[in-house]
Amino acid sequence: MAQLGFYYDMTICTSCKVCQIACSDKNDLEVGTLFRKVHNFEGGKFPKPWAYNLSMACNHCAEPKCTKNCPTGALYKREKDGIVMFDEEKCIGCKLCTWSCPYGAPKYIESKGKSGKCNFCVDLIDAGEQPACVDACQMRALEFGDIEELRKKYGNTADIKGLPESGITHPSITITPNKEAMK
Amino acid sequence: MANLVDKAITHKLSRRSFLGLSAGAVAAVALPGCGLQKVDAEKAAELSQKEGEWITAACWHNCGGRCLNKAYVVDGVVLRQKTDDTHPDSPDFPQQRGCARGRSHRKMVLGADRLKYPMKRKNWEPGGGKKELRGKDEWVRITWDEALDIMASELKRVKEKYGNAGFFAPAGGSGGGMEPQRLLNAYGGCTERWGNVSWGSWPDVYSTVTGLPNNGASSGNDRFRLRDSKLIILWGANPAQSSQGLPTYNYLQAKKAGAKFIVIDPLYTESARTLGDEWIPVRPATDTTLLLGMAHHIITNNLLDQKFLDNCTIGFDADHMPEGADPKENFKDYVLGTYDGTPKTAEWASKICGVSAEIIQKFAQEYATTKPAAIISGGAPARINNGEHLPHAMMTLAYMTGNVGIPGAGVSPNMHNSATNAGPALVQPGGNGIPKVNNPIAQNRINSGEMWDAVLNGQFTESKGKKIDVNIQMIWNWFSHTLNQRAGATRGIEAHKKVEFAVAQNLFLTTDARYSDLVLPVTSQWERLGGLLTGNREILIYHTQVIKPLFEAKSDMWIVTEIAKRLGVDTKIVNPISEEQQLYNAIAGAKVIKADGSDYEKLVTMTAEDIQELGAKGTPQTGRISYQEFKEKGIYQVPRSRGDKLEFTSFEDFLADPVGKKLATPSGKFEIYCDSLSKKIEKIGFSTKSPIPKYDPPLEGYEDGLKDGYNFQIVTIHYYRRSHSTLDNVPWLREAFPQEFWMNASDAANLGIKNNDIVKVTSRHGTVIRPAYVTERIMPGVVALGEGAWVEMDEQAGVDKAGSTGILNGHIATGQGHSGYNSCNVKVEKYDKPLEPDVKWPQRIIF
Repeated sequence: MAQLGFYYDMTICTSCKVCQIACSDKNDLEVGTLFRKVHNFEGGKFPKPWAYNLSMACNHCAEPKCTKNCPTGALYKREKDGIVMFDEEKCIGCKLCTWSCPYGAPKYIESKGKSGKCNFCVDLIDAGEQPACVDACQMRALEFGDIEELRKKYGNTADIKGLPESGITHPSITITPNKEAMK
Repeated sequence: MANLVDKAITHKLSRRSFLGLSAGAVAAVALPGCGLQKVDAEKAAELSQKEGEWITAACWHNCGGRCLNKAYVVDGVVLRQKTDDTHPDSPDFPQQRGCARGRSHRKMVLGADRLKYPMKRKNWEPGGGKKELRGKDEWVRITWDEALDIMASELKRVKEKYGNAGFFAPAGGSGGGMEPQRLLNAYGGCTERWGNVSWGSWPDVYSTVTGLPNNGASSGNDRFRLRDSKLIILWGANPAQSSQGLPTYNYLQAKKAGAKFIVIDPLYTESARTLGDEWIPVRPATDTTLLLGMAHHIITNNLLDQKFLDNCTIGFDADHMPEGADPKENFKDYVLGTYDGTPKTAEWASKICGVSAEIIQKFAQEYATTKPAAIISGGAPARINNGEHLPHAMMTLAYMTGNVGIPGAGVSPNMHNSATNAGPALVQPGGNGIPKVNNPIAQNRINSGEMWDAVLNGQFTESKGKKIDVNIQMIWNWFSHTLNQRAGATRGIEAHKKVEFAVAQNLFLTTDARYSDLVLPVTSQWERLGGLLTGNREILIYHTQVIKPLFEAKSDMWIVTEIAKRLGVDTKIVNPISEEQQLYNAIAGAKVIKADGSDYEKLVTMTAEDIQELGAKGTPQTGRISYQEFKEKGIYQVPRSRGDKLEFTSFEDFLADPVGKKLATPSGKFEIYCDSLSKKIEKIGFSTKSPIPKYDPPLEGYEDGLKDGYNFQIVTIHYYRRSHSTLDNVPWLREAFPQEFWMNASDAANLGIKNNDIVKVTSRHGTVIRPAYVTERIMPGVVALGEGAWVEMDEQAGVDKAGSTGILNGHIATGQGHSGYNSCNVKVEKYDKPLEPDVKWPQRIIF
């Protein structure tokens, strides 16, 4: 089975957050719920500060904890491309997924009493398009595709400072990190 | 409702049939004809079965970029947005991708806080009526008839009592030709505002020193020629925030092609982080000393391009002075301190600008020995009081090293829509055909830095030594959010409380509207027929109507036409051409450059059917693309490639033949000694400037702060959350960007301030409170705040909770009458009360 994943070039991301907003637009999210979020990290000492950004959505892990712990099967991996799918009708709002994911990808949505998460814009992908976040990126810092192909092209770095150990769930993401972000 | 996820899995939906609703979405969206309302699950399910349409939606703001924005509309309901996908994306032929603001447009246009009905202040009555309640009075919904009657009667009353000069139309600038101004002009005229706010002190300096009739913003290199640069110095330019869209991506291509980037900025910006090989923090409003210190190093180390100076400039040294000028007043001797006894050494500069002498010398050495090297400035460093020396010194430094007129070199404030893509527009719209209505009392023009004082004190400066009395009793606000966005908002609020009548037409209860007596709801561009938008030189956007007008909102033209009828003003003067005809004129007159760059040709082919579809009169024509293609794509982008005939570098012609192709300056050369600039500034009457660039400490700059006990210099930054003040009210953007107050960690520690503590920031002119962002990314002694937040006064505490920089900036007129937002001193202290994050504030919903 092929596994779809994301590539993110941290070094050129300007934290403009258009990916975050495009995601909220596509998923029609209310304030308080973000399926993709740009995180900011910084350190150093003036005049030598450093900073990096990290745009994160669901990493559609090879071995996701959320699908394992979901009691109703609302979360499951799609066979053909490994997308971690979410069936809202099956969700009972138990929040186990939000506790299971080391990346905090599934969100509990109070107004619905159910969870929600990035589904890789599966409808767009199936229509031959790109996920909204990738299509939106002003710096072309986000890409998506077969994660093995992306790793061949950009290397295999999913372990950076600020993220959990990749061995836990084997996230389908590879990152070009700033040097300060390297573990 | 239908499970869209399942649908997506089991059906391969076609692009057009895809619906952007997430399962179960219940959202505030607009239904045709009935404004904003919740769509329930049943309705959402119904919509999900229907075919929608992608419409090119206006993204019309003064953001410093321009991108393609599209809205997906089903049955009149906007369900989602997207950006440019009209062609495959590549660095050489990139898509025009929008930013977070553009992508959240529907949350603005369809926001619950849209003004829905005309309304008046409860205690308003003709002549004022408890004027002190402006800004806090209750609002009363009224009919359009009542609103228009009030407008007409107040216009008549003020005119009879005070004359036309009693009307103040502060929009000025690019809003000056617009609808209310047309009516006021046709009604006998009004007092106007003048003074550039964006470009700092560049316009008069750039135009007089080079002879080019522009402000320099579109000068420099186009995006391909930038790739020829070996060194790009971003001097107070932060395109990642100030010019979103393509500029930072274009710079990235120059970096990949080998250019080194040095970024001069008090802040370690995202541009510095992603592009910069070196970051040189400098104190605001002192850049001129850094430039002079570099000049000293270049002169004393024989790094001058003497040939360039001799052939292309005047005023550098005593041997090259214009006739009649004092030979001692040359630039070289000023830098060396020959006559004033102060050599402008790196050590001298260091004490003022805060950059070490060693770095100044190294930087000067690198710049002078690298060709081609480009200095690209934003407006920010020159957005300082009496700031004309700064651009002049910057340009002089480039002339000293001969870094002008060769591909990849240059010196200019290449910014805003033209950032990274200098040169003449390759595609441009036609005119709309509306003749201008002249203001019969056009001499009544008040500078931005004096306008509120003029309202309060009844006097303004017309020119050097000439003061004019004026009695303003009506302020008509539209378009440019003047009260919020011009320096001196504290005075502006007082001025609004003084006049007999203030009116605003707007989409929201902005600061302008809040302090008015009468508020008129207008339609957004999404609710109008459509239009053309220009951006970088390679694109022309054709946006069309997305939704029907919301609630009782009307167009500005409808409003002024109805008022004109009541005043007995000829509506044919105010509103001479239909919207349809205007749009046709702009499209039919659109021109695109030929591939060989020799001339322009018509852009759009229009058949008789196309003209009829538009509802206009005209003659069919042949152009490069069909009308239907233009409308469907919503954009025309000029094909470009490296080495094409459309590449651009400023002053190539002049450099090739400095004798035959003289500049349009008195000397025919670049004027390091620029008497016309000096005379121009003197005539304006606010301050003076020597013909050569010198260091003249700006009013409320670094030195004034030290002297008066204000320990911090504040810089006002273009903020990701909004386009100036537009979109500040969008919840998604408030969540993403909290309007934080930047301060250095060591300064914060000294004041006992921790990250996210609420701090009180006080200038000589006003006070704001904000959460502190404690960081190492800003120079000690400097603090920063995004410009454009909507004033939210806590009147009891006397503080603006929103952190509007207009409150902090002084109402000051200097130099060419530009706004000096980045010369301002403040004190900072910990605030003793909490402040809710902006995203949790109630929206300004009146009805």
